[in-house]
Amino acid sequence: MKNVTLLVFFAALGGLAFWLWIILFPSPEKAVLKKIASLAATATFRVDDSNLTRAAKAGNLVSLFAADAQIILDAPGQGARTLAGSDEIHAAALGGFASLPQLKVQFLDVTVRIAADQQTADATCTAKVNAGDSKDFGVQEMHFQLKKVDGNWLITRAETVKTLS
Amino acid sequence: MQGVNESKPHWLRVLAIGRRPKATLIRIAVLVAVCFVTFKFILLPIRIQGISMLPTCHDHQFNCVNRLAYLRHRPQRGDIVSVQLAGRSIMFLKRIIGLPGEMVEFHHGHAYINGQLLDEPYLKFPSNWEHEPIQCGSDQYYVVGDNRSMPFNEHTQGRAEVGRIAGKLFL
Repeated sequence: MKNVTLLVFFAALGGLAFWLWIILFPSPEKAVLKKIASLAATATFRVDDSNLTRAAKAGNLVSLFAADAQIILDAPGQGARTLAGSDEIHAAALGGFASLPQLKVQFLDVTVRIAADQQTADATCTAKVNAGDSKDFGVQEMHFQLKKVDGNWLITRAETVKTLS
Repeated sequence: MQGVNESKPHWLRVLAIGRRPKATLIRIAVLVAVCFVTFKFILLPIRIQGISMLPTCHDHQFNCVNRLAYLRHRPQRGDIVSVQLAGRSIMFLKRIIGLPGEMVEFHHGHAYINGQLLDEPYLKFPSNWEHEPIQCGSDQYYVVGDNRSMPFNEHTQGRAEVGRIAGKLFL
């Protein structure tokens, strides 16, 4: 009986160690997925969020991108626009957060491919964006490129994908 | 007297698990397996959102996409198909009007295929669309909604790669 208890204890300890290992040292896929989820959470804001909160979120949003990152937007009916570098991304984020009453961003069907060198990654997903208080939403297929910088995954390129050409 | 005690299970128990619980369990297991296979691999349940397929499909309508529809043949003109984006959580629901290799254009709200007017009896709303010819590639289908009363630029449409067509609308 004592042996069984000991066995259960060590099994639980092993499980805990494994869980901690996964949390502390996530696989590159998990880390990229977390970064994409974090981008969606940062880009989301509520109608009752203060200007200070929105400005802070804009700052946090920029920190997810590399300094020389590019965002290339070409959504149907919206026209084409390119943002290059942290300053332009920050300015656009501030403008967007100030002009919209609220925004809910979700990235669905995220697929991550890690390069062989484990230093760069590609992710594709469908962005579901709800800008008002109605249930109507916009969808857009997206492609992200990420790079590992000092152990942290940063987005180097975000672009819209034309599902229908 | 013994026979009377054995024969009559409580009516509530009969209602819940039947007279033969083992057979009921097997039936439930089979039903769950059939539903799982059907709705995971054959019929994809969808909820339509938006007005681009009016009046054929309405906003908030439920339907299914038959994923096996194109196992034996290629998609046909007039088929209502679901076009997947990055995955199958959200898809476009559109009608095929142009087949691979064909030229699609719009004049006075009417679709022309290789210069010939396309007969589209399912269109009920007036349209004034004008668009220059677009050539479909060898593995591309031109898909568009039935509601052509929307402005051309606000209506998601265009050439879809065959690999993006997830299935055909079931009902």
